[in-house]
Amino acid sequence: MDHAFQKQIVEALIFASDVPISAKKIADLEEELDSRKIKKIVEELNSDYQKSKRAFFIANVAGGFQLNTRKDFTPWLKKLFKGRLRTRLSQASLESLAIITFKQPLSRVEVDAIRGVNSGGVIKNLLERNLVCIAGRSEGPGKPLLYGTTKEFLRYFGINDIADLPKPKEIDEIMGKLDQEEGISESIIETLTETESFEDESNHKDDSAQ
Amino acid sequence: MPYRVQLQNFEGPLDLLLFLIRKNEVEIYDIPVADITQQYLEYLTMIELLDLDNASEFVLMAATLIRIKAQMLLPKPELEDDEEAEDPREELVRRLLEYQRYKEVAWEISDLEKEQRQHFPRSDFTFNFEDDKDVDEEELLGKEVSIFGLMSVFAEIMKRIPPRTEHTVEQIPVTIEEQAEVIMCLVDKQDRVLLTEILQQIKERIIVIVTFVALLDLVKNKRVQLNQNNPFAEIWIRKI
Repeated sequence: MDHAFQKQIVEALIFASDVPISAKKIADLEEELDSRKIKKIVEELNSDYQKSKRAFFIANVAGGFQLNTRKDFTPWLKKLFKGRLRTRLSQASLESLAIITFKQPLSRVEVDAIRGVNSGGVIKNLLERNLVCIAGRSEGPGKPLLYGTTKEFLRYFGINDIADLPKPKEIDEIMGKLDQEEGISESIIETLTETESFEDESNHKDDSAQ
Repeated sequence: MPYRVQLQNFEGPLDLLLFLIRKNEVEIYDIPVADITQQYLEYLTMIELLDLDNASEFVLMAATLIRIKAQMLLPKPELEDDEEAEDPREELVRRLLEYQRYKEVAWEISDLEKEQRQHFPRSDFTFNFEDDKDVDEEELLGKEVSIFGLMSVFAEIMKRIPPRTEHTVEQIPVTIEEQAEVIMCLVDKQDRVLLTEILQQIKERIIVIVTFVALLDLVKNKRVQLNQNNPFAEIWIRKI
């Protein structure tokens, strides 16, 4: 099989897939292809598209490849999907998502504790939008539900992996010019590094129906 | 309620506190508790008292601030040499900083959201006939209607007719039989009629209800048939 034909296979699969299709999935469907080759082919396709001024490109989102339109056409697409586009997330939703993303899996009470307000309604909304999912139950008292982010979360924000997100700043960065002998700050930095629970990529829950 | 709007700008007590700290240009780890508490309480009085769900969290924070203020005013016990005086603000500062961290992440992912919403993925494969006006009408008379479909149309129509606020008792001269005849007449003339078309012409809630009951009666007696192409699509009435 020549390279040009392999390229067409990859293109056909990405074109017809209704969810971002992973390199692994493509490799499963065509044994002559492996992840490295597929990535190279996607790069080639993207440069072909650019050269021939296509209106779309292959984006690498949520661990897979997906055709996306270029920004230049946003106004027309917005008109096309008028009334069917969901609104942007509220400040409360974004805050809760930020917390869930970097501390998952965690319970609603833990989100409440950081935000200082009840986040029940907000989390319900995030569940409905499939941006977070129930990632299990805590062993703690009352066995509360634990939440984590979904593949849709990655897709929605156009990222491939949680590791691509800007991590929350360390406390000393926020405090900037704070000097070392300050008792409070030192103990704060200590507490926070202890509780730091961010773990990278393998942590998000794969919930998308394949 | 002008003050509610103002308070809703804040996501919670921590958000309000951070705002005050920034507004006063003071260091987060050296909060002038007396001043900040004063200002916080001023904001708090703006809370609509009936809105207890919202208010309780703000009130809790006020109590915390006042406790810290009191603690700072009390004379400190003598300490051993190696012991360090604990600052009563410490816990609060820790919470504020923790919240601040995630608030910053929230701003950043908000930018990502904005960016990504400009790209439209090739992913929505659900085809919706309602959006396509050129569809063959025969095709529209495809599937049987579910009771939920009927209910949703009914609810939609009832929503458009506001409930009357004044209350005068008057008899509305309408019967199920009459409305059944109205429907049959329309169906006879036009072969098939849209359910919404019939209900929309009616201005009186009770007549909508009677007409709807009449329609159910006609279906039960197998005089008309209801069809719908998709869930939530228009419902057609046709003579059997």
